[in-house]
Amino acid sequence: MKKKWIACLCLAAAIICLFLPAVKIYVHSQIGPETAALFPQTLSLLDLLKPGIGLPADAIPQLSLIETGGGNLIIGLALMAAGLALSLVPVRRRVQPATGVLSLIGAGCPQAAFVVSCAACAFIAAFTLQLMNVSSSLLFALLLDELQVFAYIPAAASIIQVLVTALALKDAEPLPIGDTAWRRLSGALAVAAVAMLMLPGHVVSVPASITGSEADSAAMNRSLTLAQEMMGSEPTLAAIAGEQNVFADVVSGDIAVLEPYSGDVTNIRGIFTIKNSTNGINAYLLGGAALLLLGALLAFLPRVDRWFSLAMTTLAAVLFGTAVMGVMTISDGDMFTSAARQLSKLGLGCVTVCPMLMTMTAAASALCGVMGVRTANVPYFSNPIPESKRLRVTAVALALAAVVMMLLPSASYSFSKPGKNKVQSTVSVYGAQSLIFDVPQDVLEPKDNKGKTMYGEEPKEDLTADMVAQIMGQAANTQSIGIWAALLLTLAGAAALIANKDRRITIILFVLAFAVRIVGWLLLSTQVPRTIGSATATVYTYISLPLLVFAAFFANFAHLEELPKKYKLFLLMLPFLVAVFLFSYLPLYGWSYAFYNYKFGVPMSEQEFVGLKWFTEMFTNPGHRENIIRVLKNTFGMSGLNLLTSWLPMVFAIFLNEVNNVRFKKFVQIFTTLPNFISWALVFSFAMCLFAMDTGIFSKFMLAIGAIDQPVAWLNSGEHIWLKMWAWNTWKGLGWGAIMYLAAIAGIDQEQYEAAKVDGANRWQTMRHITLPGLLPTFFVLLMLSISNILNNGMDQYMVFQNSMNKNTIEVLDLYVYNITIASKGTTLYSFATAIGILKTLVSVTLLFSANFASKKLRGESIM
Amino acid sequence: MLTATTESKRIKKRRQKLSKGDIAFNIVNYTVFLLITLACIFPFYYLFINTISSNELVRLGRIQLYPRDLHLENYVQVLKIDGIMDALLVSVARTVLGTLWTVAGCAFLGYLVTKQEMWLRKVWYRLIVITMYFSAGLIPWYMNLRNLGFLDNFWVYVIPGLVSPYNVILVKTFIEGLPASLEESAELDGAGYIRIFVSVIMPLITPILATLCIFCAVGQWNSFTDTMMLMPSGNYYTLQFLLYKYQHEAQSLAALVRTTQDANAMANLATKQTSLSVQMTVAMVVTFPILLVYPYFQRHFVKGIMIGAVKG
Repeated sequence: MKKKWIACLCLAAAIICLFLPAVKIYVHSQIGPETAALFPQTLSLLDLLKPGIGLPADAIPQLSLIETGGGNLIIGLALMAAGLALSLVPVRRRVQPATGVLSLIGAGCPQAAFVVSCAACAFIAAFTLQLMNVSSSLLFALLLDELQVFAYIPAAASIIQVLVTALALKDAEPLPIGDTAWRRLSGALAVAAVAMLMLPGHVVSVPASITGSEADSAAMNRSLTLAQEMMGSEPTLAAIAGEQNVFADVVSGDIAVLEPYSGDVTNIRGIFTIKNSTNGINAYLLGGAALLLLGALLAFLPRVDRWFSLAMTTLAAVLFGTAVMGVMTISDGDMFTSAARQLSKLGLGCVTVCPMLMTMTAAASALCGVMGVRTANVPYFSNPIPESKRLRVTAVALALAAVVMMLLPSASYSFSKPGKNKVQSTVSVYGAQSLIFDVPQDVLEPKDNKGKTMYGEEPKEDLTADMVAQIMGQAANTQSIGIWAALLLTLAGAAALIANKDRRITIILFVLAFAVRIVGWLLLSTQVPRTIGSATATVYTYISLPLLVFAAFFANFAHLEELPKKYKLFLLMLPFLVAVFLFSYLPLYGWSYAFYNYKFGVPMSEQEFVGLKWFTEMFTNPGHRENIIRVLKNTFGMSGLNLLTSWLPMVFAIFLNEVNNVRFKKFVQIFTTLPNFISWALVFSFAMCLFAMDTGIFSKFMLAIGAIDQPVAWLNSGEHIWLKMWAWNTWKGLGWGAIMYLAAIAGIDQEQYEAAKVDGANRWQTMRHITLPGLLPTFFVLLMLSISNILNNGMDQYMVFQNSMNKNTIEVLDLYVYNITIASKGTTLYSFATAIGILKTLVSVTLLFSANFASKKLRGESIM
Repeated sequence: MLTATTESKRIKKRRQKLSKGDIAFNIVNYTVFLLITLACIFPFYYLFINTISSNELVRLGRIQLYPRDLHLENYVQVLKIDGIMDALLVSVARTVLGTLWTVAGCAFLGYLVTKQEMWLRKVWYRLIVITMYFSAGLIPWYMNLRNLGFLDNFWVYVIPGLVSPYNVILVKTFIEGLPASLEESAELDGAGYIRIFVSVIMPLITPILATLCIFCAVGQWNSFTDTMMLMPSGNYYTLQFLLYKYQHEAQSLAALVRTTQDANAMANLATKQTSLSVQMTVAMVVTFPILLVYPYFQRHFVKGIMIGAVKG
């Protein structure tokens, strides 16, 4: 029952949101105040449904070009209402076999509600996406902006309705459809989804009254079908202009009319003239369509395991979903794609609901597959591979995956102009190309970023075109041989595994393939001379290496039914190890920056190596030395103050323990730990309020008691900054620090206190002789840890309190490193900052180990 | 009746037993703690009364101990500022996703490292724990995230937090304290490791997971330096970062305030937004979620600290 209420609320929310401001309008200053006054400040979704979308189209006819696809929203809302109505139909349990149509209708309602809700979701999502496209389009970038949260509510509501209706399916009576029928339905839906590729995804309609001539508008009015999108066969606007001799007016004259409304006129002009197109085959759509057709075929064949068809349609649905997110949204890259998308990028087009529906159909096909498996009462995913062969199949699959990776782009060559560092062009070579020794012309004849050949007959940097071609040809051919060798070794290994040969042969072959890949990778980076450019392996190469290792790993257990436990556990652990490597160990590679004169955006191979220059400069360069000494002084000063008072939480805990009233104790504990849970930014807000120069309570108080004669800028002065920082730190951390000691006090044996009482010890004596000694070990551990952290006092606190007045005395090491690098534009001190970081880490680790050593010596216990 | 009188007599006796020194000690002790507690609460209260009082009186510095001329216009106006809603969404999203991700990761990893039979378990465990004690430094950290494509990417708030060694140790210690027989019986039933973790271990370690959740959530909610460094193009700003920005770019804030608020609010001095009022109100908006969940979670982290303290 609850679910139905949620569904009702969703529809209500979606409808209410029609009336709330959904889009905030900004009017460009060039439009002029009179016209600007005609614009409303906000538009509701309801306004967007009206013709002319509530904007003064009379004053500016171009505004009527904005197409929001409001029809989609109306249809979507109607479908939502229909879905809701269907889900409200009471479910009638069928006692006897269906008699009459009515009982059947009652039974199928939850399912119908789900389907209708899905369709509603598709329509509303299409509308929302179009709205987002319009608001980010070039032409209306400054007119319509800032979609408010209410614009998204209908879409969110429809998604919730889908979820609710899906959950309701759990209690619903299953449809009287058998296993075979489900399978056929799945196949039919798969075919339907593929057929839907013929439907238009983008529609552009521009009236002739807006454009310069009939021909222009005819050339602009186009629809881009999904099939065209899939094949990448839509020409660009520039190509159309060349062929049909149109758009001359748009480019030369009419564009001027649009100027005031556009964010960037040069871009608009550019869209009609850009020659280079990035439009290509959409592999996701292509792959999805192929999988769907195959899945449909398998679904209709009765003897094939239903699992295959299901897997294919599911994968296809995922592929379609991914593709559709790209097809339906207009991105910056669409400046360079096909005519329809370019026009959509301008803000003239409208996406249709068809791509969404296509995805949903594919998903429905997969769902029908699931239903088929379910009605047949076979486990969901019965693994078709027999247990004894699973590990072997895994090994072969990994090897094949490695082979695929080898065929994908395997090397990327970057060329720079002779004697210059800046990369002019980058060419990546597919492994498949290398297999037929087909070296792309761009690799043999490097071109600069304007498309001109960089080397001619005349030698540049002692290189002529022939020599470059020879060097590059050699490098590329070496790669080809490497890929051939690795490919053959891998395939041979896989074949040996399939043929059930001794598994050691396979392992050796895989390891050899791995070695060949490594050698190829090393050769790749050394064979291209620096004068020409650089060559790097692509991410696919890096992926193929672990794949080979894992293939060998699984091949080793090919004869077993199950992995040994210890390796199973290791495999579970592996993702975490990868994460630790990526985020904790990989940054260590960055330490190498300290030995270079690191410049941003320049590949590592072209950075200037300077050795230990930055380390010596810290001490020899007077400017740097002064700064370092200053920030070290601040660091030690503030850390030192905190260290000197690190006994405060302990004392706090000891005295709080003497409070007998439990309620008061709780009260104190709750509220003194609260400051620990707020950010330093918030602490600074408090500081700004309390210590404001003339309005803050602190100034008022000091004036009242006569401690000062006139308001003092407490926050802006650099005086006593260490003490102030210490005070804030203590305010924030005192109560929190005490918790650990309170926990330790709770662990002290109560008998000791009783014994002391019997002996007549007074309160001071118990505190001094029982509580305090009980806490000292904890205190000692924390003290050691804070000593080893003396350089790492963080920077949040000092960053928020920092200003130009106190910068000299507040800048600690961490903050200094940040200030001279990320915070300052065009800095060249990255290497210097890295060098500081290295020394800091080394000192910290040394301190920690000495503290640990001291602890072991003194207490026989390590703190780590 | 009789027992009651003896009881009260005994209490009286005990009270009488308090020496003068004890009484003096108690008075001083209670007073000092009361003052400390007040010092901790007062800033929250002070900020709050300043956001609900007449902005004109605030500007004149006349709101010190109690609010005057109450109004909620500040909150209404602040929620209208461009980007605040987006920032709220980002903050909530990173808090929820980041917490789930980190806690799930650390819990499962903590479980895995208790498994003695794992291949080279000690090596991996040491490799993970040792990352607690060193860091590559700011620039290598930044460049690494940049190279991995995490700049201007929402997921930088979430994904790198998968493994936090301290939390892993906490979970590991906790699991090691559980009886091993539970797990063994599940293993005999043929459950895999993931299955055992989800259905046997997880329900048993909820106390420690709750503690971790609080720490992670508070950490996520409060952090702003990562936004400052990793979001150069201004996407995915968080509320905390907006607060920081408003504090340090008062002028642009004032301009923003002028453009956003409507004429009615402008005309009335009491409700007219100033950069200070906006800054304070945003601070309050940032604080509310913490104040709301704090009392509820307070007991959990005391427990968690105890567990941590056992490890020392």
